[in-house]
Amino acid sequence: MLEISGVTKIYGSGETRVVALNDVSFKVNEGDYIAIMGPSGSGKSTLLNVIGGLDRLTSGKVILDGQRIDNLDENKLVDIRRGKIAYVFQQYHLLRSLTALENVLLPVTFSGSNGKHARAMELLERMGLGKRANHRPDQLSGGEQQRVAIARALINNPLLTLADEPTGNMDQKNGKELLDIFEQFNREGRSIVMVTHNREAAARAKEIIILRDGQIAERLKQ
Amino acid sequence: MKLYQVVLKDILRRKRRVMYAILGVVIGTMTVVSILTVSAAGQARITNQLEKYGANLSVMPAVKTIDTGLGDLSLGTVNLGDNYIAEDKLPLMRQITDAKIREYLKDVPEGNIATVAPKLFVNSEIKGATVVAVGIDPQEQFKVNTWWQVNKGDYLGSADHALLGSMAAASLKLNVGDTIQLNGRTLTVAGILADTGAGDDYQIFVPLATLQEAFSKQGLVSSVDIRALCNGCPVEIIAGAINENISGVRAVAVKQIANSEMGMLEKINKFMLALAGVSLVVGGFGVFNTLLTSINERLKDIGIMRAVGASRGQIIKALIYEAIVLGIAGGLLGYGAGTLLAYAIGPLIFEGTTVSFVARYLPLSIAIAMSIALLATLYPAMRATRVKVADSFRSL
Repeated sequence: MLEISGVTKIYGSGETRVVALNDVSFKVNEGDYIAIMGPSGSGKSTLLNVIGGLDRLTSGKVILDGQRIDNLDENKLVDIRRGKIAYVFQQYHLLRSLTALENVLLPVTFSGSNGKHARAMELLERMGLGKRANHRPDQLSGGEQQRVAIARALINNPLLTLADEPTGNMDQKNGKELLDIFEQFNREGRSIVMVTHNREAAARAKEIIILRDGQIAERLKQ
Repeated sequence: MKLYQVVLKDILRRKRRVMYAILGVVIGTMTVVSILTVSAAGQARITNQLEKYGANLSVMPAVKTIDTGLGDLSLGTVNLGDNYIAEDKLPLMRQITDAKIREYLKDVPEGNIATVAPKLFVNSEIKGATVVAVGIDPQEQFKVNTWWQVNKGDYLGSADHALLGSMAAASLKLNVGDTIQLNGRTLTVAGILADTGAGDDYQIFVPLATLQEAFSKQGLVSSVDIRALCNGCPVEIIAGAINENISGVRAVAVKQIANSEMGMLEKINKFMLALAGVSLVVGGFGVFNTLLTSINERLKDIGIMRAVGASRGQIIKALIYEAIVLGIAGGLLGYGAGTLLAYAIGPLIFEGTTVSFVARYLPLSIAIAMSIALLATLYPAMRATRVKVADSFRSL
């Protein structure tokens, strides 16, 4: 489904040149649950941004569903973000002015598909947030906010969910709850690529890719 | 949930920030509205004063004036031709004047527009002194000589009434109720005019028909004052038309004073507008700065929206919605504040002016506010959407 080949990302030039990703290649198949690990600065988050078209790569290819997406212009990338790839961020990235339910519905506002209200409520209820639907992010705990973000990611039924340190700002209990949710969705056939530096989190994935200095150092299937 | 709802919710959350931006818009529009309102009040005042200049057309008999002299030595002038205008030419004068005004001003009501006031001058003797008796059409003349005030007694009411200029009354020692003999006709002094500082003070006024009869000048008048009841009426054109169509008369436009006064006002207006323009630019720059900051502060929110599927166009649209809110709010408040400011400073600039709000500046104010808000939004908005989504998260 997703093919990454020879992906290289270089920041700056000359003295300040930093090679964030150096010839990284791997595949994500439908139903995969991959954790990308590595020390900070190893290029994990860059990899995730590059996969999802949030950042441009220096060289290499990203092919999603048979379509090359690394060289798409902004307007085509918008289509990718509306249903093919969804994100879950470490900082949740919810809009502060909207309630939980409205945040979940935000992608629908932009993609223009209607009648997702029931689905949004259903997702929130699955996240155990049925009663918190009309709360704003600042009235929710970190764990709750991240669950809202997951519901938002799933509202348009993406092919692939990219999660950047989703448990990074959470205590153990909330983190575990979140990983349970991921596991459950994966079991339902959803594909997930998750960046984490947390061993326990990574251990829940089906496969672990360890990045070091912008290169794949190790791949563990479990 | 529609995009505009997302925008409104965001505005409600950021009330204070949004108020700052609105304030910037208000400062710009307020200045323009107050300047325009004060200016309009000034114009109204000057126009009002100009109307007191009375007639703006004067029609005389077409007499040829010949300078007589020997070399550089002037021996005075000699008038040739008829000294009177036939009264039956008056309706035609009115007709020509009204037609020209109608041509010039689109929607004027039916009926007579111009005031046509005939005058007959006769030298006469009262109590042994020579005075100029002036036959007038009481109603029309009062409309032309707007400065006339009856000091004592009443205005001309019947055929055997006379109205005295203040100096004439004083020097002839006449008072209201006295009778005078005018070429054998007995008249009662109905009223005495207040000082005008003009020739009027030395004259006595009687109804035209009475004077014509008394001096056997039936159907004759000496001159006609025409007052086109509008400012900027084409008096030169009217004068030209009268000269062309009526023989034996010479119409002259008396517009010079009005022209120079209006020219002055125009200069003041231009200066004020330049001032308004400068304050608009300054205000606009302030708004631009506020919005630049405000949009940069929200780069992360913009990144979030793009990460969940917003296109560049949708982001710009959202920011334009916000600009529209700023424009409407800024325009309304700016109009209110500007009008209040005009009420406060108007009387200081044009002494004795009564400022009144000008309703049509409200849409103008909103239009200006909207333009400022939109112009100030466009660049930051375009810039914000060029930031890569990943960078917009990193910047915080």
